[in-house]
Amino acid sequence: MKRPINSYEAANGKPKVYWRGVEEYSKTAEFQQWLDREFPQGASEFWGDGVSRRSFVRLMGASMALAGLGMASCRRPEAHLVPFTKTSELQTTGLTLNFATSMPRRRGGVPLLVTSYQGRPIKIEGNPLHPLSKGKSDTFAQASLLNLYDPDRSWRFLHANSEISADQFFKDLDTLTAGWAANGGKGLAFLGGEVNSPTLNRLRAELLKKFPQATWTTYEPGLYNNEWQAAKNVFGQEVKISPRYDKAEVILSLDCDFLGSDDGTLASIRDFTEGRKVENPNGRMNRLYVVESRYSNTGGMADHRLRLPASKISLLASALLAELKPGSLAPELPGVDAKWITEAARDLAKAGKNALVVVGAGQPAEVHQAALMLNSALGAIGNTVELLPVEDKLPKLAIQELAKSIGLGLVTDLVILGGNPVYNAPADLDFASVLGKVKNIIRLGSHEDETTAVSGWHAPLAEYLEAWGDTILQDGSYGCVQPLILPLHNGLSEIQLVAKILGQPLIAGPELVQETFKQRGGTDATWPQFVHDGFVPLTATVPPITIGASPASMGVSLASLKAANSELGPNNLELVFVPDSKVDDGRFSNNGWLQELPDFMTKLTWDNAALISPLTAKSLGLDCKLHDGTYYGDVIKITVDGRSVEAPVLIALGQADYTITLPLGYGRKISGKVGKDVGFSAYEIRSSLAPYVLTGAQVVKTGKTFPFSITQEHWSMEGRDLVREAPLAYYKEHPDFTREVGEEAEAPPLENFYKSPGFDFKKDYQWGMVIDLSSCVGCNACVISCQAENNIPIVGKEQVRNGREMHWMRVDRYYSGSQTQNERGIEAIPNDPEVVMQPVTCMQCDNAPCETVCPVNATVHSEEGLNLMVYNRCIGTRYCANNCPYKTRRFNFFDYNQRQLDKLYLGPLGPKGTAETIKLSKNPDVTVRMRGVMEKCTFCIQRIEKAKITWKIDTKREGGKMPGDAIQTACQQSCPADAIVFGDISDPNSRVSKLKKRELNYQLLAALNTQPRLSYLSRLRNPNPLMPGAERVGMGLINAKSHGEGAKHE
Amino acid sequence: MNEEVTTFGPARGNVMERKPLIANSRSAKWITAHTVGLIEGKPLRIWWILLTISSALALFLPLELTYLVSTGVGIWGSNNTVAWAWDITNFVWWVGIAHAGTAISAIFFLTRQKWTNAINRIAEAMTIFAIGCAGVFPAFHVGRVWMVWFLNPAPYYNDIWQNFKSPLFWDVFAVTAYLTVSALFWYYGMIPDLASVRDKVSGKVRKIAYGIAALGWRGSGRHWFYYEKGYVLLAGICSALVFSVCGIVSMDFATSVIPGWHTTIFPMYFGVGAVYGGFAMLFILIIPTRHFFKLHDLITEKHIDNMCKVTIIMSLCIGYIYLMEYFTAYYSGNPYEWWLVFFNRSTPSGAPYWWCFWIMVSFNAIVPQILWFKAVRRNTLFLFFLMFIPSIGMWYERFVIIVTGIQRDYLPSSWHYFVPTINDVLLYIGTIGFFFTAFLLFLRFLPIFNMVEVKNTLPEANPHHDANHEAKGGSHE
Repeated sequence: MKRPINSYEAANGKPKVYWRGVEEYSKTAEFQQWLDREFPQGASEFWGDGVSRRSFVRLMGASMALAGLGMASCRRPEAHLVPFTKTSELQTTGLTLNFATSMPRRRGGVPLLVTSYQGRPIKIEGNPLHPLSKGKSDTFAQASLLNLYDPDRSWRFLHANSEISADQFFKDLDTLTAGWAANGGKGLAFLGGEVNSPTLNRLRAELLKKFPQATWTTYEPGLYNNEWQAAKNVFGQEVKISPRYDKAEVILSLDCDFLGSDDGTLASIRDFTEGRKVENPNGRMNRLYVVESRYSNTGGMADHRLRLPASKISLLASALLAELKPGSLAPELPGVDAKWITEAARDLAKAGKNALVVVGAGQPAEVHQAALMLNSALGAIGNTVELLPVEDKLPKLAIQELAKSIGLGLVTDLVILGGNPVYNAPADLDFASVLGKVKNIIRLGSHEDETTAVSGWHAPLAEYLEAWGDTILQDGSYGCVQPLILPLHNGLSEIQLVAKILGQPLIAGPELVQETFKQRGGTDATWPQFVHDGFVPLTATVPPITIGASPASMGVSLASLKAANSELGPNNLELVFVPDSKVDDGRFSNNGWLQELPDFMTKLTWDNAALISPLTAKSLGLDCKLHDGTYYGDVIKITVDGRSVEAPVLIALGQADYTITLPLGYGRKISGKVGKDVGFSAYEIRSSLAPYVLTGAQVVKTGKTFPFSITQEHWSMEGRDLVREAPLAYYKEHPDFTREVGEEAEAPPLENFYKSPGFDFKKDYQWGMVIDLSSCVGCNACVISCQAENNIPIVGKEQVRNGREMHWMRVDRYYSGSQTQNERGIEAIPNDPEVVMQPVTCMQCDNAPCETVCPVNATVHSEEGLNLMVYNRCIGTRYCANNCPYKTRRFNFFDYNQRQLDKLYLGPLGPKGTAETIKLSKNPDVTVRMRGVMEKCTFCIQRIEKAKITWKIDTKREGGKMPGDAIQTACQQSCPADAIVFGDISDPNSRVSKLKKRELNYQLLAALNTQPRLSYLSRLRNPNPLMPGAERVGMGLINAKSHGEGAKHE
Repeated sequence: MNEEVTTFGPARGNVMERKPLIANSRSAKWITAHTVGLIEGKPLRIWWILLTISSALALFLPLELTYLVSTGVGIWGSNNTVAWAWDITNFVWWVGIAHAGTAISAIFFLTRQKWTNAINRIAEAMTIFAIGCAGVFPAFHVGRVWMVWFLNPAPYYNDIWQNFKSPLFWDVFAVTAYLTVSALFWYYGMIPDLASVRDKVSGKVRKIAYGIAALGWRGSGRHWFYYEKGYVLLAGICSALVFSVCGIVSMDFATSVIPGWHTTIFPMYFGVGAVYGGFAMLFILIIPTRHFFKLHDLITEKHIDNMCKVTIIMSLCIGYIYLMEYFTAYYSGNPYEWWLVFFNRSTPSGAPYWWCFWIMVSFNAIVPQILWFKAVRRNTLFLFFLMFIPSIGMWYERFVIIVTGIQRDYLPSSWHYFVPTINDVLLYIGTIGFFFTAFLLFLRFLPIFNMVEVKNTLPEANPHHDANHEAKGGSHE
């Protein structure tokens, strides 16, 4: 699917030619001409000549491959690879191209660089030019590739749920538009998501001019107005608050998961972890205090974490305010050590302007206001708190207001742009029946879903990778949304549809965006630069505003918040609604990569669960039992305000008592194959009044249980030295603690009768990797990146439950308690555990246990230290997997690439084949594995080989190694924390070589003498010694080892 | 034979009377007639019933293998952590059963244990069929069975040698050599008997079939001369193979790095376990055979008693090894080994498969101690049912070794429980069905006694008596 690309280098005024497939392409004159003239030798006389059918087919095979048709089959290509006689611009067969684009998100776009192979996007990375990304990306950006190729995407226009032609749709639209124009848009309403697109805003303004009576509603289930409301209250103007974690030395997070599922995590993970990297024992490290109700990633990184129900956060905020601003009201906080608050406040005050207080988006505006005042009192505004201008100043309604107008019969025509309001609108609005009152509903949607069912017209929505657009990026800069491919299913973008409604012709090119670009000061001359870079940096910022007023005059009456006062208990439970870490608000629910991604903390895949603490479970008589390797959660009925939902319970450590976390985004009623029958919909009890936290919920046990697909059965490290950690102060005193706590310190010296002939480690490249556990927040970006890069299949819910997930890279999560282990090595379940994350992939052992046991030499060692996997040699004895102490090998138990995941057990009796679009998503450099073979990480050998070839061509000579840091593996490239460092360890100047010399460096299970090439840097924490319980923070392993000592030498 | 003991030469004191190995003073003719009679006579009704049941069960074998090959190894319960489970458990179990047959016919032959002459043909048959069942698992447990020829050490296929470091590759040699040699040994030993059958059977087809199978044996002196030499040689090779095969199979585990697998005691452990499990199976085969075919004169109570004694010894050895595993774990100081043996295997509160472990210990090391009682050893019906216990116990032993080792190894994050599926069970049942079907056919169509060897134990076979009138390896044990 080649096409000329409107690139920076080759920008010119030529009209663009796009085609989507051979049908369309073959209609063009060029195709006919090409058929006649550009055929291989002897073929042009084909017409009317006696060429046999066989030779015709042969020629056509070659020629069709030439036309880019051969790409549909990525496996066992019919070998007709013939070069283009006239290549499309920039394209070299076999090489990839990168294009900058941006992924629109509700809190601002993410700058990206997308790899395209033969015209199809195959991999998404962060845009290295953009300071927000610096080449890093997150799970959603990585996985959005699969959204593009989702076979269940909407692919047709519908009217009254039956298919119509696009022409018919536009004809109907024109009729409606004419009617609206006639009455000034009376009764016309628009409902859209938050895409932060200046072009859409521009068109909206035009829309309001053309249809003055029309209204515009924005609804994002994952967005809350509180933050902006608070900023407006405090600063007196609309500003966007942007925390600068890179400048912060002491951070207090009040229920803010800035390293996890809150959007905008990309930059915050990068900036935050920058401050966690310690070069030597005297290094400095930032400090993180977290107060939260559920165990989030942010809580996992905390030096001090306090479990507190989300509804009580306001009390804590006012208590802090009282500490920092004498004279404020200090409320009672039962169950919270007053010292915790006092010392945390002192620490913040000590850091002054380098302190930062952040608040979770869902918290009430009062808490946000309190945080702004705290930041202001600390002097942080302008330093760690940056203010950004708000772009979108046009009037917009909330969905409640829209529902109200519909209820009053004021809306006759509704245009729904994206989103899925029937599924995710607040339950109290009863949006599905509300929509029944609207005469004409025109819906632009990515899938034929719940909203489609009630819409008069449905048009397929183009993904951001398919259509031109623009977006305000998360740091306020202006980002270009450049398409990589023509819409696969004739989809329209929001701006295309709105422009059409405005009476403009359907525009496929960038003209709409170009116009906005020009309005924002761009020119024809700077446009190519914009498209090439993918963004224009932000120029205008809001100067710091100081707040002088006292809390009382600001109207902060936190302690009087009603919710905060009600005492939580078994009969008054708190519900917290959070966007899911995998499927977000439900928009990714048909994305198999994300569905199968283990949640950061619970390691739950394919479902959501009501998360409760062990104490809550006990007092409610609920359980989540491990039976035959599967966790079975009791199904409960949660009732609040007369609405109820049934949900399975998952006991989550570190959860605040009497609070239930309900991840959103599941329980879809009409969805594609992947999103069908997964989880429950928490939207059913989420009201517009309390979209984030709600108290007064009751729970009844239904007697049913539900089996979860969890990738990690066991939570404890069993006192083993797997994740080594220590507080920073301990590291200062014991720089060698990493070695001291290790098993290898006790192992006898290695002796061998056999003298190894030796190996010249300087001769070739020697690849190695270091993962810094202090930086890793467990965000899973590496997992999805690896999956996209290496064509890793998904296996489905049932197979995950059977322990057959295929992820080459996984993030192990262990809880470590403050309790010490008992003599059996088992720890009692801690109430307030710390958590450690450990990304694990193939260690590429120099002395690999897997290699010696393979009977057919299918896994062998390379001269460069890689543990290779030869798929076509593998017969699948699985012995290697058994003998891998790290269990990083993955076996194709079924033909996951050929069989439907719900029909795996039918084998050949089930339907065969993969959707064509899924085939398009595959990386051509990596074999798609068949059933019966073992697979695993090979440090992205395809990237290594590609770089080596390029280096050889570029340097035009033999010998001479490329610099040690020249290659990035997929996981490394996406890691926002920069925790993964890969390179050539034979080059002493490479980053990886330097890190491996650190005293924090250790090999996992080093005592086994597997000599892994992947090593870890011990995790460091930075507790405040004055805090309660500080003496235990990060001391889990050290304590376990010193206690275990006695038992061992009995 | 209650004649008075008369002393010739130096007095040696009283020697207890030994029971003859062939009861009721049966003659050589009777032995031949009775053995051939089993082939010639009408099959018993019970034989038909058992054959129907076992061949019905055997049908699961082709069915399950078809499903397996067409669909994938995923139809079993194994997972990424427990990549081997019932498949290799069954393999080791069957190989173990095979070993007992060879041990009886080869090792006991070489050590001149004449009492085993009556049961060695049955034991060898058990060996052959058990190896056949065992071989199904390593061959078909692989992900791509159509590529299993990669194991064939013929480098010219794709210019790649096999990995000579891999115990699985040693397995290929060990098992194929074992199958070849024991089949040869079995057939070789059968030639004179097949000739006897040829001479006795009626019917042209049978005569021709047995005639071909007898390879022209005429019983000449030269024939016997070469036959005896060859038999001893094959017995020697077989005896060595018993140790090498169970040693090599054990190295599948012993050479690994997994706690619970990586144990130097394994070659011995597997050898003892094999003989033990095999003897238990032999009881299950012999007792009904003896009963229904009325073979009490050839397989006497003495035989059963001796087999019981071997079983007790093996059971004690097994118990000793179980204890040694604890000691090794304690003494090695290896925390993973310690944790596995002291906690992860046997503790009901923490070990997921603790019940398997206790089945293993009680069935193998404790229950068989009942054989110390003579009354038990005499009660063949009881013995028949009793011997299912060590058979099951030995299956659990392999399961405990394989699955508890890998299901919880080094990284707790990867621990995963194993649950078998119906397909695991049915394939296993299929091999059991095949085994019994093959054995029943053997009973019907082949001489189930090594007539030559059995006749060797007749008093008249060895007239050389010593001072105590005892035959030197003749009529008595």
